[in-house]
Amino acid sequence: MAASDPTPGWPAVVHSSGLQQQVKYAKVLAVGAGGIGCELLKTLVLSGFENIEVIDMDTIETSNLNRQFLFRKRHVGESKAKVAAEAVRKFRPHAQIVAHQGNVKEPQYDVDFFRKFDLVLNGLDNLEARRHVNRLCLAAEVPLVESGTTGYIGQVSVHKKGVFECFECQSKPSPKTYPVCTIRNTPDKPIHCVVWAKELLFQRLFGRPDVVTDLDEAEANGEDGAEGHEEKEDPSFFLRRDGETADAYARRIFHRVFTYDIERVLRMKDLWTTRTPPTPLVLDDILESPPSNGPHAPAKAAASNGHAGASASASRALGLRDSHQMWSLRDNARVFLESIRTFLEQRPEDVGAAEFDKDDALAVDFVTAAANLRSLAYGIPTQTLFDCKGMAGNIIHAIATTNAIISGLIVVEAMKLLAKMDSHCKATYLSQFNRRMVCAVAPPPPDAKCMVCGKSQLQLQIDTASTTLGQFVTKVLKKHLGINEPTVTCGDFMYEEGSGLDDSEVAFNAKNLPLALASLPGGGVRNGAILEIDDQTQHFQVQVLVSHKDDWDEEKVPEKFTLTGSLPPAQQEAEAGTAGTAGTAGAEAGPSSAAAAAGDDNDVVELVEAPPASTTEQSGKRKRPAESDAEPAPSKGKRAKAADDDDCICLD
Amino acid sequence: MSTSGVARGRLAQERKSWRKDHPFGFVARPESAADGSVNFMKWTCLIPGKEGTMWEGGMYPLTLRFSNDYPSSAPECHFPPGFFHPNIYPSGKVCLSIVNNEHGWRPSITVKQILMGIQELLTTPNNDDPAQELGYTIFKKDKRDYERRVRLQAQKYPPEH
Repeated sequence: MAASDPTPGWPAVVHSSGLQQQVKYAKVLAVGAGGIGCELLKTLVLSGFENIEVIDMDTIETSNLNRQFLFRKRHVGESKAKVAAEAVRKFRPHAQIVAHQGNVKEPQYDVDFFRKFDLVLNGLDNLEARRHVNRLCLAAEVPLVESGTTGYIGQVSVHKKGVFECFECQSKPSPKTYPVCTIRNTPDKPIHCVVWAKELLFQRLFGRPDVVTDLDEAEANGEDGAEGHEEKEDPSFFLRRDGETADAYARRIFHRVFTYDIERVLRMKDLWTTRTPPTPLVLDDILESPPSNGPHAPAKAAASNGHAGASASASRALGLRDSHQMWSLRDNARVFLESIRTFLEQRPEDVGAAEFDKDDALAVDFVTAAANLRSLAYGIPTQTLFDCKGMAGNIIHAIATTNAIISGLIVVEAMKLLAKMDSHCKATYLSQFNRRMVCAVAPPPPDAKCMVCGKSQLQLQIDTASTTLGQFVTKVLKKHLGINEPTVTCGDFMYEEGSGLDDSEVAFNAKNLPLALASLPGGGVRNGAILEIDDQTQHFQVQVLVSHKDDWDEEKVPEKFTLTGSLPPAQQEAEAGTAGTAGTAGAEAGPSSAAAAAGDDNDVVELVEAPPASTTEQSGKRKRPAESDAEPAPSKGKRAKAADDDDCICLD
Repeated sequence: MSTSGVARGRLAQERKSWRKDHPFGFVARPESAADGSVNFMKWTCLIPGKEGTMWEGGMYPLTLRFSNDYPSSAPECHFPPGFFHPNIYPSGKVCLSIVNNEHGWRPSITVKQILMGIQELLTTPNNDDPAQELGYTIFKKDKRDYERRVRLQAQKYPPEH
């Protein structure tokens, strides 16, 4: 069976001249030129695709080189999209490969841009961008092949408006968050201290002064006061004073956060009735203690050795060259002081503008030392630099082979879509421990109640009296719903943000951000209000029904809101027992949430552990065969019913 | 919120497209009250006079009033009362086919098309279909006086106000 067959089936069609022509002329957009993207671009051109556009905002890092094989050491610092395009052009010189260095969420990549393509293929590293691309593909009615890998496992799924579910038909676990008071006052795990060091202290010392984190908000609301009588912190305390030397500043900060603040927390007696109280650290005692064993190079010589431009490392300057070595208390204190000093002296332009970046050696030094010092004060085990970097950067270590397999599968699905063989499309899961490494299921149909591709109303429980519009926009709309440029209307109230606004309009909208929802113009957003939410850059419209709730248990629902999909009453009850299925923010953020949703390493996925059989059964509406133990389907012809007989993928 | 869902939905769409792409110098947005509330059914707009014409230098304030029947029926378009132009009624209402339900209005006409149509009308009045006595007469009898009055009016509506 080959090209002569008038209607070849899958996979014979791959060899037909018809499909080969389609492949040749198809316009495809590859989103992401990282771990998956490099493999994907290579496989695309070698499979005969000749019209490819690739978009990636990132530049090449040294740490990419082990698996992103289109890049060489000399490319470090250059655009991933451009270098990758150049590299695969050499495989097939007459292919048209267009590189875009940019964020796919920028307004120029709008619905019209997406409409140019026959297919969109994702090799993305974060949930936000995946949701954005999903929404644009729905709007532009372009099929999307979505993918992700993490370690040995990965998946490829196919999304097509009106035919298959969209990427967001199944709710995705949101990134894990921790109760604010645990982070601020009562850490008991290393991660709590890492989050504190990265989100709070790093931000205070080096970040933009206008960035307000959740941790600051709690303070502004005086929530800590419930447990003690904490005086409000003045953020300007953390700024360097006129004439203060970098060294004096570093010591002052140390004293404040590891001595004074710990003493202050100790005075909140209620906190320590069931917990082990922390021990304040005294800098002079620590520095006077004898150095721990192990050779340390003289600090001065190494510090001055740093070449200009490169990110200096405080730990290396102090002779701590092994990132797997555990630092002593004294080491941590010295790295803490040294990293602050180095920041102030060598990168003064970054102070007040820095964002934590896992590839910024100095930032990682600082976070590691600060987290470890806090751990030591609280009697929590310390971490090596390597582990701390992984925790702070949400790094999941990536495997090139997984990326290669997944990219191959993306191209297989792309060909089925081009051949208009939707019935053969598969959601494919790569797993490490199953009997079959690769298993495939038919993609589920669209969920009519999906908030993105269906028509739905969401229910929001929130404290309308104390939550400001700004908090609502950031936490609920942007973080939780993945909205890029929100427009909110409710009765005679409107809030707009994003592109296409003039200065007076921006100012008009900004005025409302500090107001509590209930105090907004036009009568306020109160219990029973219906918000119309739209996104200026995505095609995303949803109604949100607001109900007021002010008695939140912060330990259980640190976000202090829940957002649930609108389900018929019967189903709602059925799902009430299974935490989180309806997209409850609090439940999903619970510790059992297996998936690392939004890492920023290139290859992180919101992981799917093979076909989620349990979800299937409880919702009762998705017919998804479980991967391993399903009995073989009776007839090969009945593909629509089940995919069990197709577990093995034809790759030829 | 007693306004019709259809009208409101369309107006949200209009606002979205306007933000995405609108002609330079033009302004169009739902009217806001002093307390920060917004009236979606009434838009305040500014139309710049075309450069190189006697209308240049002016930013002419226009109000669009949408009814619950919109987009089945056209919005009413008003300049300030007494606006000098042959095709503007003494009340300020614009007489133009594309915003006339009996003539040229079609539900597919966008806010952008309305405003650009009105900008065009300013420089190319249609004296066969006059709406005010003064503008009609002066335009017909004394082109220099007409230009003088138009330029005087342009100064009345400077860009920043």
